[in-house]
Amino acid sequence: MTWFAPEDTAWTHASTRLIPARLLAAWITFAIPIAATVVLAILVTRWLWLGTVGVVLLALWVSVVIVWQVKAHAWAERDDDLIVKRGRLFRSVTVVPYGRMQYVEVNQGPLARLLKIARVQLHTASPGTDAHLAGVPVEEAARLRDRLTERGESQLAGL
Amino acid sequence: MSQQVFRAPREWTRVHPVSPLLGAWPVFAVVGGIWFYTSGPDWVSAGDDVPDVPEGFTIHPLIFVGAGIVLAAIVVGFSYLFWYFTEYHIGDDAVYQRSGVLSRQHKQARLNRLQAVDVVQPLLGRIFGFAKLRIEVAGGEGSATEIAFLRSGDADALRNEILVLAAGHSAPVAADADIIAEAADAMGTSPDQVTSAHHSAPDPSLREVVRGVPEGQPATPAAPHKDMYDVPTGRLIHAMIRSWTFIILVSLPVLVAVAILVFGVTFDQIVASALGGGLITTLTALIGIVGAAWTQLNASYGFQASISQDGIRLKHGLVETRRQTVPPGRVQAVRLKQSLLWRSKDWWKITINVAGYQDDTAEVSTLLPVGTHQDALTALWLVLPDMGDPDPAGTISAAMSGQGDDGGFIPVPRRSMVYELFQWRFRGVRATDKALLIRHGWLIKQVMVVPHERTQSLSLKQGPIQRLLKIASIHVHSTHGPVVPIVENMDLNQAVEFLEAQAQRARDGRKRQTPEQWMAAVGLREE
Repeated sequence: MTWFAPEDTAWTHASTRLIPARLLAAWITFAIPIAATVVLAILVTRWLWLGTVGVVLLALWVSVVIVWQVKAHAWAERDDDLIVKRGRLFRSVTVVPYGRMQYVEVNQGPLARLLKIARVQLHTASPGTDAHLAGVPVEEAARLRDRLTERGESQLAGL
Repeated sequence: MSQQVFRAPREWTRVHPVSPLLGAWPVFAVVGGIWFYTSGPDWVSAGDDVPDVPEGFTIHPLIFVGAGIVLAAIVVGFSYLFWYFTEYHIGDDAVYQRSGVLSRQHKQARLNRLQAVDVVQPLLGRIFGFAKLRIEVAGGEGSATEIAFLRSGDADALRNEILVLAAGHSAPVAADADIIAEAADAMGTSPDQVTSAHHSAPDPSLREVVRGVPEGQPATPAAPHKDMYDVPTGRLIHAMIRSWTFIILVSLPVLVAVAILVFGVTFDQIVASALGGGLITTLTALIGIVGAAWTQLNASYGFQASISQDGIRLKHGLVETRRQTVPPGRVQAVRLKQSLLWRSKDWWKITINVAGYQDDTAEVSTLLPVGTHQDALTALWLVLPDMGDPDPAGTISAAMSGQGDDGGFIPVPRRSMVYELFQWRFRGVRATDKALLIRHGWLIKQVMVVPHERTQSLSLKQGPIQRLLKIASIHVHSTHGPVVPIVENMDLNQAVEFLEAQAQRARDGRKRQTPEQWMAAVGLREE
């Protein structure tokens, strides 16, 4: 056994549209230092091209990690709980019982709206529960929210 | 009969008119402090710290006092305005509070969501007989309802009524006509006026507790309680002496002595350097060091824990006293901790997570500031009467001092010593039928206990190095509080199995709730 993989569990993977969304956000962040090093390399010293190469390499590495992360992100609805798995280098599996969900939140940034994906955040009474589903197709997100809320209500346990 | 009966209000009521003054006293203290700093004798402040005010521009002390009075009057005036618009009352299923002059705020604390009720008495409140009530419901940050200030009798009455009503939601207590008649007789009121007192009468031996309340009684008497343990002042002080803060404090004079004897520094030079920044600066530094110790002493002095039908009662405080009531089953997680300096005495400190306690968690989350091994077992039993283990004391004792697989614990594999050269031997986890026990600590021993039915969610986590070593960590998510239960570096296969098994145990745990057994176990209701 290399990792948590219960039998007959149907995993739903995050939409691949999450990849361009995250890549764009990352490259916008990297554009500023890249531009800065390029300008300084032209104006001041050619040695600064090394800096540009460094930043570009870092950006490429981050891009690879983003692709891995999105591919690794999946969730499964079981009878009593929701399992969320994520991460490639730092892996995690979170088990959230429906009866422990306090509320479910769906949010969408402008880019996500363009790509028709949403983020579903689950809240329990614990601040430690970091269970969110990223890259959920919009119509699926609404459906999921309703289903989770419904299951949460029917199984809700006291704190 | 001259005895006054305190009653929780059913209609909108304002808090006691003295509240703004009790609440505004820090303003007076600050004004006084500033005056002392600026107009006090020269030695108070550092000589060169005083701003260069030209001659003739120095503020006359009387003008300053006058400004202070005006400022205080404004503050008190505004406080009264807010006081006028702040009202509260109790209903059958919630405590309501509305406040605000321009923007109105309406708050309700639902009693079936009640997590804890605290009666807090600051120093002034204790002198003049006032108290404030904090009602904690699990609703995230700022969800606590604070009613300040009430006469202490009113505060007690409100607290008792809240607890009776809250208990009624989960397990209704049948009103006993005879007892009500008797109580009414004793208080000189008609029976229908005390129908809210639908509590079983205190046992004869425990009636003294109620009778001991001076001048006036709450309409709803507090549930009888049984003292479980207390912390003697001697032990508390001894425990504080056995702390690193104290050792550092004591080592300062030793350092001074070394400086004088070995390096030939004169005593005058040391005093000069210490006072170089002015007396206030030195005092601030000293207060910082002593402050931590003071907070601990202030919060833990006279610590007393008892058990009642309403739940666990904790009473503590030196200057500001706090009487906490945590209803049964509201404790989410427990941590037993022993520092190296306490080990020879086998003393333990116990902290708990209670949902709703969001701020000042250090002050409110202590179940036992310092106690013997036996006290620790009693305290744990108070919050977790049924450990789901035939020999709870033995299991816990094994957890407290064991290592490896002592007491049926699952140890972590030897290869995790890459992370912890020594501590890995002491790490371990064990699940009983009712609770999860996590043990770790090489120098500082720790045992964490989470009841299965209180587990929120679970995580299995693994970093790149853990992956190479085939180990993983399990995080058990509890509510906000000082106890964060994590099992680090378990063998991967065991961890994966454990995650599934623990999810199943938590599922089973959620399905049972037995507060009645809890009372029977204490021996308070032996019919």
